[in-house]
Amino acid sequence: MRFFKKQRKNSVTHSSFEQGDQSKENNKDLLKTSLEGNIQYVKQVLGNSRDIVIREIQIGKKGVKAGIFYTDGLVDTNSIQNFILESLMLDIHTDQGQIISSQHNVLQILKDDILTVGDIQDVTEFSYLLTSLLSGDVVLLVDGYAQGFTIGMRGGKDRGVTESTTETVVRGPKESFTENLRTNTALIRRKIKTPNLWLETKTIGRMTRTNVAIMYIDGVVNDKVVEEVHKRLDRIDIDGILESGYIEALIEDEKFSPFPTIYYSERPDAIAAELLEGKVAILVDGTPIVLVAPALFVSFIQSAEDYYQRADISTLIRLLRFFSIFIALLGPSLYIAITTFHQEMLPTGLLINLAAQREGVPFPAFIEALMMETAFEILREAGLRMPKAIGQAVSIVGTLVIGTAAVEAGFVSAAMVIVIAITATSSFVLPTLALSMSIRMLRFPMMALAASFGLFGILVGFIALVLHLCSLRSFGVPYMSPFGPFIPEDIKDTLIRVPWWRMFSRPRLISQKNIKREQNSASKPPRNKM
Amino acid sequence: MKRYVTLLIMLLVFLLFTTGCWNRRELNELAITLAFGIDSTMDGQYLVTAQVVNPKEVAMGKAGGGNGRSPVIIYQAKGQTIFEALQKMTKESPRKIYPSHLRMLVIGESLAKKGIGKSLDILSRNSELRSDYYIVVAKGMNAEDILKVPTALEKIPAINLFDTLKETAKAWSATSFVTLDDLITDLVSDGKQPVLTGVFLHMKGDKEKDLGNQNVEVIDTPARLFFQKLAVFKKDKLVGWLDEKQSKTYNVITNKEAGTAVNVPCPKGGKFVFHVTSSNTEMKGKIKNGKPEIDLNVHVEGSIGEVECDIDLTKSESIDKLEEMYEKETRKIFNNAIKQVQEKYKVDIFGFGEAIHRADPKAWKKLKKDWNKSFENLHVNLHVQGEIRQIGTIDNTFLEKIK
Repeated sequence: MRFFKKQRKNSVTHSSFEQGDQSKENNKDLLKTSLEGNIQYVKQVLGNSRDIVIREIQIGKKGVKAGIFYTDGLVDTNSIQNFILESLMLDIHTDQGQIISSQHNVLQILKDDILTVGDIQDVTEFSYLLTSLLSGDVVLLVDGYAQGFTIGMRGGKDRGVTESTTETVVRGPKESFTENLRTNTALIRRKIKTPNLWLETKTIGRMTRTNVAIMYIDGVVNDKVVEEVHKRLDRIDIDGILESGYIEALIEDEKFSPFPTIYYSERPDAIAAELLEGKVAILVDGTPIVLVAPALFVSFIQSAEDYYQRADISTLIRLLRFFSIFIALLGPSLYIAITTFHQEMLPTGLLINLAAQREGVPFPAFIEALMMETAFEILREAGLRMPKAIGQAVSIVGTLVIGTAAVEAGFVSAAMVIVIAITATSSFVLPTLALSMSIRMLRFPMMALAASFGLFGILVGFIALVLHLCSLRSFGVPYMSPFGPFIPEDIKDTLIRVPWWRMFSRPRLISQKNIKREQNSASKPPRNKM
Repeated sequence: MKRYVTLLIMLLVFLLFTTGCWNRRELNELAITLAFGIDSTMDGQYLVTAQVVNPKEVAMGKAGGGNGRSPVIIYQAKGQTIFEALQKMTKESPRKIYPSHLRMLVIGESLAKKGIGKSLDILSRNSELRSDYYIVVAKGMNAEDILKVPTALEKIPAINLFDTLKETAKAWSATSFVTLDDLITDLVSDGKQPVLTGVFLHMKGDKEKDLGNQNVEVIDTPARLFFQKLAVFKKDKLVGWLDEKQSKTYNVITNKEAGTAVNVPCPKGGKFVFHVTSSNTEMKGKIKNGKPEIDLNVHVEGSIGEVECDIDLTKSESIDKLEEMYEKETRKIFNNAIKQVQEKYKVDIFGFGEAIHRADPKAWKKLKKDWNKSFENLHVNLHVQGEIRQIGTIDNTFLEKIK
């Protein structure tokens, strides 16, 4: 540790830019008055990178020198052409241009009268200049002034808003977030138009300087959670944030838990719903995955579609999902435990049938299950990583190999194939990948417990798991609430989902001060016949 | 400190793997035993017969196949005790006998006559045995002979026996399915003696031929197993067999009847069938003038199963009449049966003693010493109430129109 500290100290003295530490190096950081000097400095700091375009122009008749800086590919070149170059080089000769001379404050005139763009910020420091430049702003410096403008003209190639691929719904909005932070915040704002939807921005990552936005609805959110999110984000000191997964790992409560304590989604409607419940969304530039804190265990078995469908159907489907968590977690282990320790539990007919299938299978049930599970996990991973065209071939080989050939060759029993298949399918039922991954991982220790202690082992493992889950907290909120601690009012949106006209309140532990969600607004049709 | 904790946890985790799997058994290491037969041999030993399933022959589909081999195999061993015999069985069986799924326990008649008590201890002590199998007595033969009969409809003879016993109890109620718990409860009771159903083997001729594979290959199978009669025990020794009417009476009185058919004469000649669908018996004991007495209230509900006589079923009076005839008929049968048991076997299989015990515990203390004697002269007040609920899909029979 000490070694690293020393390193960091050194880097501060070497390059103030990398550290972003402006206070100590004030003089060096301020812009120079001469344009030439500024250009030199920028070129030097950026190592003469060719994608930085520096265009020197003359403004007005007197020929005031100015420089336009931008990063090629990050800016909208058309806009630069139309609104900066044209304004400065053509329009300026008409009427306003007359007054451009060294006597007047050129910057003020440019800002007030000439530049026909919306987003203009003053810049006086190199560090800010460079950050803006590399974020895609256009920088305009005028010779003779130790300040300039950054002009918001971000553009360049972006992936448009497309249909969500990881969280698909049948009923509900299809759009999903993109890699662009601004697009993402806009997608949320389009859903929630209250002025209380607040957005705070941070820059995290010494090198990547990634923009991270925190969004919440003021008055609904628990202020302590916002404060805590800020605190944890501020504590991050890392060279780069490339995906929200970095942030998730850096701010989550329990570092050694297999369970996710931060929810994520790529659906704007899901995030909007979480905000309405009083949670905080953390958007990271460069990824469509938006984090939500605090997260509860139940949020991971809730799909956005649950809220759009009829309540009774949603409830049934949620119960089904909950049941499939158990299958996904315990399927193979129950099979192992019952067939190797508790044969008396099976009905006689089933026992004979299973015994017949196991005749001639050379491996113990545990090894058999382990083989099949590993084979399946390999196939699953291969299917994910392969190009789509080859993925098809993999699935065919997979079904043939582990489905049919293995049974016919006598390596595994047909019953085991069924068990593995239903387990695998169950793990896909969960709407969020995060929990499904944890369960997929926990399946293996459970199998080992089942193979060595039978149902007793499974029970011990399960109790340990439940204890662990109950000990977890996500930003101060108990992970298993509203089950532990038990909050009867909040059961309405857990394993069951009550109709919207009964959804009176927000989750108590999350939105502590503004609980009330609605008046009873169920429709009351007139009794008399029309 | 932290390192030691980590080390400790790691060692504890490794400890998990050193325990081994003390009673782990794969399915294909089990000799799934569905029936036990217990006989006594000439030299006073037990001969234990186990009917073990060959799963591959039984299961359907590709995994099974069925190569025309026998679906079950018999393993036998002799021993001073049953446990010894079971352990000895591994001398010839490649797999350990696994009795958790036992369906039938067949006791040879000769053993039943000597006393079954001693052989039951292991059955209730062994942790691998459930107590939901049925216990029957092989009438006039050894239990091993019963277990050697191949059956056609259910491939596994033990399941064949089990299902047959269950079905006949529902439709005919002349036999009784007794599980180990019932049997032991009756054995230790002062006021009730146990009964067990008898299983019969009927063979057409040659034993060798009948018990061969041929038995499942022809329509009219030469060797047939069936249940009939109830064996009456005095304590744990078999003392005689009840005939069909007595057996049915036993089931009604002990409230075990689920359904049966009773032929009842009609008022004007001919007969009709009273199809019993439910029956409920209240048994109350009392002491009258120092003597024990039993009140039996039998309430039977049923429908008309068949009419072979001239009666107008559209009138409710005739239904009343038929109910009356039924009550008369069954009262006669029940009274006869009770009397016969009292006089012939002199053992209280009905549980009258228990009824007295419940009604008057003080008097029972005196009576129980010599209960079987008191049972012989016990007065039973029998009251039968029959109710016809349905008459079927037609009302009057078409028989009279044939004339």
